Amino acid sequence: MKKAIRIEPEDNVAVVAQDTSAGETLDCAGASLVAKGAVPLGHKIALSRIPRGEKIVKYAVTIGLASSDIAPGEHVHSHNVEDITNRLCNEYERAFRARKG
Amino acid sequence: MSAMSEIKAYRRRDGRVGIRNYVLVISMVSCSNTVTERIARTTGTIPVVHEQGCCEFEHDHARTKLALIAAGRNPNVGAVLLVGLGCEQTNIEDVRRCVAETGKPVEAILIQREGGSPEAERKGVDIVRRLKALCESQERVPCRVADLVVGVQCGGSDWTTALSANPVIGAMTDLVVAAGGSVLMSEVAGFPGSEHIVASRAVSHDVGLQVLDMISELRAEYIETYGQKIEEVNPTPGNKAGGITTLVEKSMGNIKKMGTSPVQGVLKLGQAIPHPGLWVIDNRAQGPDPFNLTGLAMQGAVVTAFSSGRGSPVGNAVMPTLKLTGNPETFRKLGSITDFNAGAVIEGATIPETGKALYALLLEIAGGRETKSEINGNFEYIVPREAARKKRDACPLS
Repeated sequence: MKKAIRIEPEDNVAVVAQDTSAGETLDCAGASLVAKGAVPLGHKIALSRIPRGEKIVKYAVTIGLASSDIAPGEHVHSHNVEDITNRLCNEYERAFRARKG
Repeated sequence: MSAMSEIKAYRRRDGRVGIRNYVLVISMVSCSNTVTERIARTTGTIPVVHEQGCCEFEHDHARTKLALIAAGRNPNVGAVLLVGLGCEQTNIEDVRRCVAETGKPVEAILIQREGGSPEAERKGVDIVRRLKALCESQERVPCRVADLVVGVQCGGSDWTTALSANPVIGAMTDLVVAAGGSVLMSEVAGFPGSEHIVASRAVSHDVGLQVLDMISELRAEYIETYGQKIEEVNPTPGNKAGGITTLVEKSMGNIKKMGTSPVQGVLKLGQAIPHPGLWVIDNRAQGPDPFNLTGLAMQGAVVTAFSSGRGSPVGNAVMPTLKLTGNPETFRKLGSITDFNAGAVIEGATIPETGKALYALLLEIAGGRETKSEINGNFEYIVPREAARKKRDACPLS
C-alpha cells in the first residue's frame, strides 16, 4: 500500500512517500487515509479536518495557518496555507527580549 | 550504567576521549604540502594540507592557525608531525606548543633546516614510523558515551532528508544527550525561520538570547550582502516544487537533527565545550559540505552523523563520518559510501526505532568499526572560511 509519513504524533499533516492520485488509499501510522486530490511525492496531506485559521502542525511545531478549510486527505501547500514565519519569529523574539532572565 | 553506554576508546592525557588513534602529518604552509603528502603516503598516515599559511591577512591567518592546531588537538589524533618550510607566516613552534598541551607527542621539521625536500621527507618518515609504533602500542580502555562529542550534519539533500534522515538523527541526538554525551549542531545559516524553536529549548534566558542575537546578526548580514530578506528568497521555487510550503517548515528540516534536547549554549569556532549536552556552533562559513564538517572536527567532535538524500562520500582527516541516507534507493545504489539506511522510515519503520539503530551503529563506530569514509580514504580537511564580502564584486563577464 502507498504510504504517508507522519513525523510526530501531534502533527495534523503527513508527507506522502510517492506520487498519489485522487481516491487512492494511503497507510499512515497504521491508519488509512484517502487522498482527496493528487498529492505529489514529498508533499503534505491533511490527516484531519483543519478549519481556516487553524495551525498546520508538522515536526510538532506550527509551520503555518490554514488559509481555507482543509478536509482530511487534501493536499496541503501554498494554495491553502498562509506563511506566518515572520510573525512567529518576531512575536517570539519581542516577548523573549522583554522578559528579564 | 547500561551496557549500551560503555565503549572502548582512547583516553587522552587532557581527559578527552578519542575513538581513533590517527597519526597526522600537518603542513604549515602550501609550500610544504608535497613533502607532507609524501611522508603520509610512505607511512600510511593522514596528511592535512591546505592552500594557505603565508601572506594572509590577520583574521584569515588566525583561522588557518586555529584549523591546524585544532586538527592536532582532536582527541582522535594520537601523535602529530608538523612539516613547515621555514620562512612561512605560520609559526610552527606556536602550533607545536598548542597541540602538545594536550599531552600527545608532537614533532616538527622544516624543509629549509633539513637541507631540502628529500632530506625532510626521509627524516619525516623516520619520525612518523616511530610515532606510529607508539600509537599502535596503545590500547583502548573502557570509556562512556558521556565522554563522546558527536557532530550532526546534512548535505546533498533530497525529499527524504527532512522526512526520515534528519528526524532519525534527532532521535540519536536525544539518546547521546540522555547518556550524558555531547552533540554539536552547526549549519546556523539554516536556522532563520526556526530560531524561536531553538531559543525555546535554551537552558536559560541568556542562552536563548545568544541564539536570537546570532540569528538577528545573520539576518542583517543577509540583507547587507544580498539586499534582500531571507524570507523573500525562501523557500525557493525548487523547495516549493518539492513540497516545502513555508520557511519555518524548511528550517525545521535542518533543526530536526537537534532532536528535542535542551540547548546548552552557542560556541564560536575554537571555544572549548564547557560541559556535556547539545551545543550550537556558530560556524557561518557557507561552502561545500567539508567546510562545516571540518568546523565540527575543529570543535573536538570525534564522529559526525551526516545525512545525505542523494549520497555523499565526504569524510574528515581527524573524524570518522557516519553517512546515512533517508532514501532507500540511494542506500541500495550508493552502499559503498553509505553506512546506514534511515530510508527504513519511508518503508514503514518508526523514527524512534530507526534512531535507536543509528545510535547502536554510532557506538560500534566509536568502538572501532570503520566507516565507509575511512575505508574509502576520505580524509578531507577543508578550513572553513567566512566570505569577506564588504564590497560586492561585479561579475567580470557581465
